[in-house]
Amino acid sequence: MSNSLALVIALPLLAAFLLQPLAQQLGVGREQRSVAIQLYAQLTIAVTLWITLMLGNGVEQQPLSVMMGGFSAPMGINLYLDRLSLLLLVATQLALLLLWPADATPRIHALMLLLSASSMGLALSGDLFNLYVFYELLAVATFGLVAANSSRSAPLISFRYLLISGLGSVLALSGIALIYSHTGSLNLADISATLQHGDAELPLAAFILILLGIGVKAELFAVNGWVPEVYAIISPRLSALLAGVVSKLAVVVIVRVLLMLFPHPEAAQVLLVLGILGVISGELAAWRAQDLRRMLAYSSIGQLGMIFIAFSLSLEFGMLMGLLLSLHHMVVKPGLFMLTAGKSKRWHMALFVLFALSLVGVPPLPGFWVKLSLLTGLVEAGGALNQLALIVFLGATVIEASYLFRVLQNTLPNPPAVDEGHLTVGWNGLVGVLLGGVLVVTTLSVDPVLEQLKQISSQAGDRNLLISSVVTPSAEQQMVVERDK
Amino acid sequence: MLAAILYVGAVSLLVIGLAGMLLSSHLFRMLLGLVIAEAGANLLLVLAGYRWESAAPIWESGAYPQLMVDPVPQAMVLTAIVIGVGIQALAIALLVRIRQQTGSLQRDIVREQLEQDLDLELGVKLPSSMHAPSGEGPLLSGTRGAGNEQ
Repeated sequence: MSNSLALVIALPLLAAFLLQPLAQQLGVGREQRSVAIQLYAQLTIAVTLWITLMLGNGVEQQPLSVMMGGFSAPMGINLYLDRLSLLLLVATQLALLLLWPADATPRIHALMLLLSASSMGLALSGDLFNLYVFYELLAVATFGLVAANSSRSAPLISFRYLLISGLGSVLALSGIALIYSHTGSLNLADISATLQHGDAELPLAAFILILLGIGVKAELFAVNGWVPEVYAIISPRLSALLAGVVSKLAVVVIVRVLLMLFPHPEAAQVLLVLGILGVISGELAAWRAQDLRRMLAYSSIGQLGMIFIAFSLSLEFGMLMGLLLSLHHMVVKPGLFMLTAGKSKRWHMALFVLFALSLVGVPPLPGFWVKLSLLTGLVEAGGALNQLALIVFLGATVIEASYLFRVLQNTLPNPPAVDEGHLTVGWNGLVGVLLGGVLVVTTLSVDPVLEQLKQISSQAGDRNLLISSVVTPSAEQQMVVERDK
Repeated sequence: MLAAILYVGAVSLLVIGLAGMLLSSHLFRMLLGLVIAEAGANLLLVLAGYRWESAAPIWESGAYPQLMVDPVPQAMVLTAIVIGVGIQALAIALLVRIRQQTGSLQRDIVREQLEQDLDLELGVKLPSSMHAPSGEGPLLSGTRGAGNEQ
């Protein structure tokens, strides 16, 4: 049963490669064919969602670690499902179902399936090299999705994205090589066990290389040049998916590596400095942006900078704060992106105001509680850099409020023109309403949500739990391995 | 000694490649920079698992050799090379498209074109921008006509 975790990655991958031949076999009209293919692709995602939920049942007590092919811990491919990756998986799958592109060609559907397989792989992968492979797969899927855009600038934007991504993968690969030469292992749990015994020490350079490498997807400062251009031309749904979900996946991957392998304060400081720079550059650029999409894109750079600041705080608290900020951004940013699509109606503007208020942090919306606790955390942490972060954070909030409400000031008297069909507008609006609903429900039940997230973050930050559940698997898991042999 | 030379070589390949990506003004050369940097990273990975004076990790018959080269990084480098080739092919395909559209691969020319196109595309769709009024500006009308032909 637990081995079927691999299906979560394998099913969309298989479906992606089968899609093209299947599409050619279908002898029906063009219209029916496109409906059938979309149904096929979304059904695949729905099945993986079902498998994930089935497997996620026991994760609260004991994270699920699956060794592929019956090889034991340091060898073989390791998939690791704890509550954090379960949350991300479910969120990704739901987001994929909600934000699936409309009226797409079979090729786009195949790329979307590839995107889903690779992002699930990224969330589940328990060793560094598979992280790299899934990262590359994710990158290739996004290049394809960007390049398939009808915009005139699509090839160039896609090429620049490819160069930055390629740079990132080279850096990440060198970082992985450094770690391998120090520890002789690639399994995250195995490496952290080695480190715990004091057998080896990892150089900070390895962390910085991996941080910058994976940081390309997480819109980290200095490697985020692709963000505004890409989000400007791809459809709002795809922007919502990339900005809302994929970037968070990358963040969580980085943070897991950070927590497990580099508990030094210097590593956290690097994260803090890059976060501060990201907030400053992102928010100022968003303030200067002259169109809505690029403004939202720059603003998401700033938001991710705040997330990095949060993660750089002390282990337990930082993990929780980062998770809270990420989840908040995961709801609000896709909502804002979805509202940039299509004809603007009055209730669209009302929703926009709701999201904007929460993003800025107006009580009693969830954004307020997140920002308030992060601010108190920064004050308590003390230190010059943290105080700088505090100042930047407060300044950024003012700037955010300024540009978000400038949009309202400009759009309220004369709503934007229609640029998409009526049907898609309906769906996009519906997703916006759904996300707004999530926000309101969270506002009403802040305490229970916070309690759940506390448990999730404390489990994710537990080094010993990772080591014990991967390196020495429980009796039941060993039995599964035996039987499969 | 040899090991040191190889390590220095790997790191300098990385640096040369990165410098090429950042400094060159031609898109194809930027891609070549990426290729060189990838070679450096791969060499670094192979070196990470290399054991001097040891046999290749292939067992044919008889006793196992005493010392074997670590096969894991070699397998990984194979994967990385395959991924790299795929991405390079994709990048060249994109370059062909860019060349067809803008008639140039010079970074400055292409970037200028990109900024104009993007502003036009977003500015027309979204009249909400504060400083640039929507519609055709006198300087941009020429490029817009070219865009419609594509």
